[in-house]
Amino acid sequence: MVNKSTDSKRAHKMRSTGSKQQFDTLVRPWRYRLYGVAQRQSASTEIAEDYTQETLLRAWRDFGQLDDQVAIYAWLLRILNRVVADGYRRDNRRRQLAPVLTTEDAVLSEHPCAAPGPFEQALKHQTDAQVMAAVRDLPDNFRQVVLLRDFEDLSYQDIAQILDLAPGTVMSRLSRGRRLLAERLIKVASDNPAASDNTHTRVTPHE
Amino acid sequence: MSDKPSITPSSESHQWSDLHHQIQYWLAGYADGELDEHHITLVEAHLAGCEACRHDAERQRMLSERLQEIPAPRLSPAFAKRLDDTLASVQTSDRRPVGQKPLEGLKHWLTRLSPSAVIGGGGWAVAMVLAAMLLVPSLTPEDPNQMAVASQIPMVNDVLADYQRVVGNDLPTPSDDADLSPPMQWANGRVLARWTTRVGGEPAEAYAVRLGNSLIVQYQISERVFFRNPDVRQAVARAGDFRTRDNELEVIGLPMQASGLLVVAPSGNVPPIDKSAMSAS
Repeated sequence: MVNKSTDSKRAHKMRSTGSKQQFDTLVRPWRYRLYGVAQRQSASTEIAEDYTQETLLRAWRDFGQLDDQVAIYAWLLRILNRVVADGYRRDNRRRQLAPVLTTEDAVLSEHPCAAPGPFEQALKHQTDAQVMAAVRDLPDNFRQVVLLRDFEDLSYQDIAQILDLAPGTVMSRLSRGRRLLAERLIKVASDNPAASDNTHTRVTPHE
Repeated sequence: MSDKPSITPSSESHQWSDLHHQIQYWLAGYADGELDEHHITLVEAHLAGCEACRHDAERQRMLSERLQEIPAPRLSPAFAKRLDDTLASVQTSDRRPVGQKPLEGLKHWLTRLSPSAVIGGGGWAVAMVLAAMLLVPSLTPEDPNQMAVASQIPMVNDVLADYQRVVGNDLPTPSDDADLSPPMQWANGRVLARWTTRVGGEPAEAYAVRLGNSLIVQYQISERVFFRNPDVRQAVARAGDFRTRDNELEVIGLPMQASGLLVVAPSGNVPPIDKSAMSAS
């Protein structure tokens, strides 16, 4: 969770006395987690590294304007979010239309893997790499909330602050994003039944 | 027929359908325990009679649990160090506001370039011009005074002029079968292009290497040109290499077995010069 009060007190105290040391103390510890968020949205390690570096460079540029009321990590995630969005624009990855998927969608209501038990089994049998590929392929709006909630474990309130959304919008996007993700993973399971027989291999964190 | 509009079955069905669709937006909140009591009651009342939404809520929960099991990617020690170095560099230098927007696009673009992409990629040259200009931010074609303080040694002037030309125009397109291995190689360096130019009146091979945020060009020149100047000879005899700089660029001259190497890099971003790592000595 994002600890606003501790962060803001430290930020205020630190920024009143210097800059580089303050930045290093407040921001540098977050670079590991930032990289994790960047990596989960990137097709390659190099792109994730670029996102992370650019986020920290922008953070340094804007450090003096940091509001005391803003938690450092939430602030960094906001910057990262813009960096990633810029990266996607550069790559001409068009913003996908977010499909309106209801619980009556044919795959979700009729596919044998859609019932809770089989779905859980299908999830267990899919590799982390397969699941992450499906997350990365989500439309931007959905991918962001899924990452911040299910990987970063942020509250809806924090996500709303980071993405400039109402908490209700966070919830609706998360509902739709996970629904779409579930549908795609069910399709992956049915398209590649052999994968379901594999042992549950994990993504090996790169060096 | 009744005069009264039928409000019971169709209206109830309508209300149920509205609620059914509305609740679908709340199912993540229900699965995550983020709903207040009132909404929990509404959702649970609906789930009791709607299998589709019940299954969806279960899938939301399972999916969330599954995603949380995936380990976080780790920052590599090498990248952590590069990141620290880059930050330290911009923190101690105010030459350029850090994180300028145009830079990140080109860094990103360059990072993903492979030599083959450089060779085969159509339309890369224009982007390369911009990239080079941004990688050497203070050096622009419109800056005619840039060379005013350059060395009086012709070969140094030639490589500085060639470097400026590359920055100001584009990187020449290498032929498909060109060997892109530069004489000096760095662990994180990426060769962008190779071309032939003239230094000291004789042909020279040039290699553009991206290293971090810097564009570095290596010029392999003839031995005769390299040792023509007495200052160079003295410096090499004394220190093993020759170094000079103008306002923005640094030039390092290294003797090789049958040639010389001039490395041009932005001042302050000169890579480590490891003579033992030179591949074409």
